[in-house]
Amino acid sequence: MQLKFKVPIFDVKNLSFRVRGMDVLKNISLEIFQGEYIAIIGPNGGGKTTLIRMLLGLEKPSSGEVRIYGKKLRSFKEWHKIGFVPQRASLVDENFPATVEDIVKMGRVANRGIFSRYSKKDAAFVDDAMQKMDIVDLKKKMVGTLSGGQRQRVMIARALASSPEILILDEPNTGVDMVSQQRFYKLLSQLNKEENITIVFITHDVGVIADDIGRLFTINQKATICNNPKETLSCEDMTALYGIEAHLLHNHKHEH
Amino acid sequence: MLEMFDYEFMQRAFIAGIFIATLASISGTFVVLKRYSLMSETLAHSALVGVAVGLVAGYNPLWVAVIVAVLSSWLIEYLRSSFSLYSDAILSIILSGSLALAVIIVSLGGAFNNSLFSYLFGSILSVSNEDVITIISFGSLSLAILLLFSKELYFLTYDEEVAKTSGIKVKMLNYLLVTVVAIIIALSIRVVGSLLIGALMVIPTAAALQFRVGFRDTILISLFFALFSVIFGMTLSFHFSLPSGATIVMSVISMFVLSLVLNKK
Repeated sequence: MQLKFKVPIFDVKNLSFRVRGMDVLKNISLEIFQGEYIAIIGPNGGGKTTLIRMLLGLEKPSSGEVRIYGKKLRSFKEWHKIGFVPQRASLVDENFPATVEDIVKMGRVANRGIFSRYSKKDAAFVDDAMQKMDIVDLKKKMVGTLSGGQRQRVMIARALASSPEILILDEPNTGVDMVSQQRFYKLLSQLNKEENITIVFITHDVGVIADDIGRLFTINQKATICNNPKETLSCEDMTALYGIEAHLLHNHKHEH
Repeated sequence: MLEMFDYEFMQRAFIAGIFIATLASISGTFVVLKRYSLMSETLAHSALVGVAVGLVAGYNPLWVAVIVAVLSSWLIEYLRSSFSLYSDAILSIILSGSLALAVIIVSLGGAFNNSLFSYLFGSILSVSNEDVITIISFGSLSLAILLLFSKELYFLTYDEEVAKTSGIKVKMLNYLLVTVVAIIIALSIRVVGSLLIGALMVIPTAAALQFRVGFRDTILISLFFALFSVIFGMTLSFHFSLPSGATIVMSVISMFVLSLVLNKK
């Protein structure tokens, strides 16, 4: 059972998103609490990314409301508490002039005022984030020369450098090999357990879901929330079914 | 070699040139990385409308150029963010529109002469004391803004959406960047000329990117190329009586070719 007396980090009520009369998401309501470890799954085109983008204020909902720490998106100011790693993170422009350190330092930009310089405190957060992601020895390397798995860790280190309370990752494994993926899930669960950082990640691949996920959100126009994925075996089956069923329906529509 | 500094106009041209090289290369780094290269061309043509108005109406052309270029940059940014138009199409429309407008104003005012020619291709002879003061005052302001917001600008250049979700005022900074770029371009038309300033903004960074180094070093290399090209170009301009914009651009292009050769894969 969730701690209902606490203010949730995200409180989503009746969120809908329509594009040219088509429902992308319909009446989504959910809450995300401090310390949770949540996976969002669902078929491609099911609206997972759109949901995340609405949570972060990158997309305006057609109706419904998102609150962060009890505040409306517009009046929320403490964005450094939220670490976002977008889908294309590991596919950076190879010519972009940035060392690994340059990128991780970006994580500190929003935390300090315009007139304050990069301080020892900032440097400590940057070093700490690089250590956690095990990229200290890549510090001076150009980010364009790294492998997919290494880039992914750099992007997460950037998000961690702002000392977030929640990490939101959209398909973090795009362009990453299997070994790095396993290592990656280990890291996420460590961050969740040891640092008490709330983790929310999207994946379209049901097979890769880690064992220690707390809750599972299935998004396919609507949300199905599965509060105990470990014990409810049927949950995963249902999810798989949900995905297939949706695909069948989708194809059916196309034929007409 | 150094006897050229016996002439006061050369001293003025060098002060203005060094200032402009610094401004153009630093702002140019953000311009190139944000894929705004064509924007510098467009703003240079908009600045020309200001020059035309200045020449015909008898105001200081540099001042009017700064104002028109800034207004044009806001129009571009507004069109880009508010309509679903391709941004290169917007730039192309405003570029030709500005040039057409400038030509009409100049023709009606009967100002087609050498003075206009110097604004097109740059002229070290034409930099007045007033111009130097305008360049230093507006230039210092622009440089201060660039340095103050360099980290934020770098972040949003890298990934605008992530910067936005980190709490960075992306929209405000985008407007600030185009405003500063517009000012720098307008200031540069005395020394480099409006048809050639785009090169001084874009090429030093394009050359520096060949070295594949971090952000700070890329800016420093770009700054070095711009300074070298302006100094070398103005020296050539003095000795061979050539338009300074043309000799500066040829110098910066040779720097670019050298960078390509040095960093061949």
